[in-house]
Amino acid sequence: MSLTDSTPAAAQRFVRADGPEKVTGSGRYAADLELPGMLHAAFRYADMAPARLAGIDTSKAAAMPGVLAVMTAADVPDLRYSPGIADRKLFATDMVRFEGEILAAVAATTPAIAAAAAAAIEVSYESLPAVTDIETALDPAAPLVHPEWADYQVDEGIVREGNLACFSSIERGDAEAAMHEAHTVVTSRYVADGCHAVPIEPRAVAAQWEGNKVTIWSSTQVPFDARAGVCETLQMPTNRVRIIVPHLGGGFGGKCGFHYEAHVAALARAARRPVKLVFSRAEEFLAPDRRREGMVFELTSALDADGRLQARTGTVLIDCGAYVADAAFFPQLAAMHAVGPYQVPNIKIDASLIYTNHQPSGSVRAPTAPQACWAVESHTDELAAAAGLDPVEFRRLNAVDSRTVGPTGQTYEEIGLQECIDAATNAVSYGDELAEDEAIGVAIGWWPTFVSPAGAFLKMDEDGSVQILTGAQECGTGAVMTLRQLAADELGIDPERIEMIYQDTAAAPFGPGATGSQTLVNNGRAVIAGAKQIADQLRELAADQLEAAADDIVLIDGIAHVAGSPTAAVAIDDLAATAAGGELLLGHGSDPFPEPPEAVGTTCVGDQGLTAWVGPQFSCHAVRIRLDRDTGVVRVLDVGAAHDSGTIINPAGALGQVHGAVMMGIGQALTEGTVYDEHGHQRNADLLEYKLQTIADVPHIHTSFIEPPTNNAGPRGAKGLAEAPNVATAAAISNGLAKLIGTPVRMLPMTAERVWDTIGSAHDQVAAATEGHGK
Amino acid sequence: MSASFLQAASVDEALAALDAGARPIAGGTDLVVGARQGKAPLPAALVAIDRLDDELGSISDNPDGSLTIGSLVNHLRLMSEPLVVERATALADGAALIGSPATRNVGTIGGNVMNASPAMDTGAALAVLGATVHLRSASGPDRILELDELWTGPGTTTARPDELCVGLSLPARPPRSGSAYLRLEYRRAMEIAVVGAAASISLSADNLVETVSIALTAVAPTILAVEGTAALAGRAVDTNLLDQVAALASEQARPIADLRASERYRRHTVGVMARRALEAAAERAQGIKLGVPVNRNKGIGVSL
Ligand SMILES: Cc1cc2nc3c(=O)[nH]c(=O)nc-3n(C[C@H](O)[C@H](O)[C@H](O)COP(=O)(O)OP(=O)(O)OC[C@H]3O[C@@H](n4cnc5c(N)ncnc54)[C@H](O)[C@@H]3O)c2cc1C
Repeated sequence: MSLTDSTPAAAQRFVRADGPEKVTGSGRYAADLELPGMLHAAFRYADMAPARLAGIDTSKAAAMPGVLAVMTAADVPDLRYSPGIADRKLFATDMVRFEGEILAAVAATTPAIAAAAAAAIEVSYESLPAVTDIETALDPAAPLVHPEWADYQVDEGIVREGNLACFSSIERGDAEAAMHEAHTVVTSRYVADGCHAVPIEPRAVAAQWEGNKVTIWSSTQVPFDARAGVCETLQMPTNRVRIIVPHLGGGFGGKCGFHYEAHVAALARAARRPVKLVFSRAEEFLAPDRRREGMVFELTSALDADGRLQARTGTVLIDCGAYVADAAFFPQLAAMHAVGPYQVPNIKIDASLIYTNHQPSGSVRAPTAPQACWAVESHTDELAAAAGLDPVEFRRLNAVDSRTVGPTGQTYEEIGLQECIDAATNAVSYGDELAEDEAIGVAIGWWPTFVSPAGAFLKMDEDGSVQILTGAQECGTGAVMTLRQLAADELGIDPERIEMIYQDTAAAPFGPGATGSQTLVNNGRAVIAGAKQIADQLRELAADQLEAAADDIVLIDGIAHVAGSPTAAVAIDDLAATAAGGELLLGHGSDPFPEPPEAVGTTCVGDQGLTAWVGPQFSCHAVRIRLDRDTGVVRVLDVGAAHDSGTIINPAGALGQVHGAVMMGIGQALTEGTVYDEHGHQRNADLLEYKLQTIADVPHIHTSFIEPPTNNAGPRGAKGLAEAPNVATAAAISNGLAKLIGTPVRMLPMTAERVWDTIGSAHDQVAAATEGHGK
Repeated sequence: MSASFLQAASVDEALAALDAGARPIAGGTDLVVGARQGKAPLPAALVAIDRLDDELGSISDNPDGSLTIGSLVNHLRLMSEPLVVERATALADGAALIGSPATRNVGTIGGNVMNASPAMDTGAALAVLGATVHLRSASGPDRILELDELWTGPGTTTARPDELCVGLSLPARPPRSGSAYLRLEYRRAMEIAVVGAAASISLSADNLVETVSIALTAVAPTILAVEGTAALAGRAVDTNLLDQVAALASEQARPIADLRASERYRRHTVGVMARRALEAAAERAQGIKLGVPVNRNKGIGVSL
């Protein structure tokens, strides 16, 4: 894998400030923390689920030597939390809804004692029937996962009923009528299994109290969300809760949201000692409310005689699992993806998030999108075949372009989707002859740019060096590292002169965290705004010394000089020294964020503000695969990945995102999927049976960035990138496979055995058809 | 944690420890990882044999054409040692598939054989190559066992607790012979065999079968030797013969269904593996060089 040829050499050399520590092993992660007197935490999870909790007796556990605290729901405020729909409690009270439900927590002097004490807690249950199938969960006869659902506090605009946790639709034109008039109508069904984020670092949380203040070290992607969760559930003001994130060993969305910070803080308070919780790999699989959701798609589309899309109807079912976590916006996002970046005049899509007794779903890298793109793009190849068009031609004809109107009535400014199709297909020589059992599948995808408030403080001290205090969180993408670059450009200094204070809620203003590909877009905006203030101060100081107008001062290469006369100059370091004796060089930034564009002529029930997108990102992946027909094993050989994510500010970081996301996409396509038993318990919650891709499986990845001028997005026209490259890979692989087999593999992951079964049934159908002809 | 741990300085010292009830640990990649996974706790007493390279770490080419492989030889060495690659190619194929570079550098052939997993990747190869196992103890005479006398089920052998595997012997092979091992895997590293098959073959001057032997991985409680291959002598290695071997393998397999595969899929694919292994072995017998591991040439996990 290498940087693209078009990448300028200077931009390729981008050394991450956190790189050396991580690579040499000197960096510290949350699990490495040792605090004086520290205790170890263990959770007691549900032994069976779903079940009614009949009783819980902690007395034996509490009496064990070395146990300093045991807590249950009785020991924390009795309230429900969760964004959108408050359906969750810290500890289960009357009912356990999934196997990772926490009943009690223990703090003890060693991890072994904590585990033994957790096991010694006596719990009695009355078993309940499990809801595991999203296709029958809405039947009136189905048991309710949340019998008391109607009493929950919910945000405005959320549409729900019983096991239907949340609903959203897109309606445009008259889809039904268009179907009747259409030349060609194709219906497809696709089923995607749930899967996992699988960060290599299982999470850890440590908490320590000083008086009525608590400091919590957590491997979270979203320190401010974690703080909000602690404040809400333990009923504390924000200024008494401090969340610090040591280095984070990956997240992929799995560490978004508020998880165990409050449990550990409550334990530490009860035990009057610092407490640390470190998850095992199994816990990392089973407990967090963050796995990628299983989905079922029924899609019908209509074409005119030229192969132009006239209408799309569809139902999308999303497995919510036992709690909503942050998934209340999934139905609308899934509905958008069930149409995709196409020009479709008539649409009726219903998307439902459905409670089950599975582990809760939550944002994992581009939630709902890879599955939906897989279904929709596989369906699109079926449409192309029905229209007698090459799949790439079909997409050129129907996909959105600059100044066209998207499916929900958003008119696009400059976008690069059509160029992405060119670049990705060229990268893998689409159209050239291929070896036997090889094919190239192509898919296009899209993804929003999420905007939110964010702030930054900056200071330049007496030696001219700078600190940025940012609420940004580094989850491995390198996006936070790019903030230095942005400030350095405003200040005219070397980025190496800038240090960052980050991942500490007490030090920096709010930031959304490493979620929704937001760091560059939102924290970047804040850092630039703060840096501009210092730059203005520097210009004033320089103007005084050089007897020029402040507006004429240029800051570059560590020097402030008068525009047009480089010799009329003063070193920025000298200006900093001057300022240190008087008015200090301080900046703080929090600029307003872009407004979402208009969506015209579309109705959305359950609207969560995602009908029209700020800075929409587009992509095309073209994947050359080889199929071993006798076994169904697929090998990905080449991936052409082309992305319009706006301006690419840090090309090395951007390439890393594409490479990693493509590998995640290949895993999701071929090997990664959760297998459940009839109770909704996971059967492959370990790294032997849950098959991630390995470094040995990496194909050639040819990346191109299409950078159209972008107005309504982040700094310099950047749109964010961490999720977008995760959208289209599985879809492209599916389309390659369908070419080789003659029919799509309608289940995700497309495991070797499923591929083999599909080949077998394709054979059987051909055989049956030929037999029929013979008679 | 084990209560006692002895780093043996000699085989005799190790044997004495075994006699006193200790379990041997070589690379520890089965023993320690298994304990962490909760398969079985670490034994109370361990004797580490990993520094006995002088006594257990060599591969020797004997005057009678047989090979002796010390039990401490690791998989990296097996896959790269020219003697093994040339004369016991199936074994090199199997070793080259094990785990990751780190696993191959630490895991030993003695550990693989004595761990007796039906999914072990050296087992089918050793079976078709006619390997025998050398066991030594402090109390009795050395024993030399055929593999089917050693393995009795998943993780069980007829070796006594006081016996140490000191090595394996592979008998001399006839001139025009070749061998190969393939496994079905869903990814190219850190995989466990879904199914696998090894074949060895010797050919006459006009390329007809003289002897052929097939063994299967992960389709029975132990590595399974396919019966009925003697009847194939005198035949050409053509599609008919390959089909027949695939059918024999599929019929005799007694696979389970689990998370990795259904019974039906295993039964089918073990036939595919057997066919490809035989095809590769026959090509090698005719002097055609196929890289190690041959998986990458024969469909599974092809190289870029
Ligand atoms: C990540 C990973 C991937 C793996 N991948 C594969 C794979 O692809 N294919 C595969 O076949 N295996 C695989 N394994 C299993 C393991 O690496 C091999 O079986 C290896 O050869 C075991 O050797 P060892 O020296 O580490 O055995 P140890 O763990 O030291 O011992 C294994 C067992 O054999 C006994 N033993 C060891 N040496 C002797 C001896 N000389 N005499 C008597 N008893 C002895 C021990 O007491 C123990 O019961 C993998 C393991 C890991 C951790």
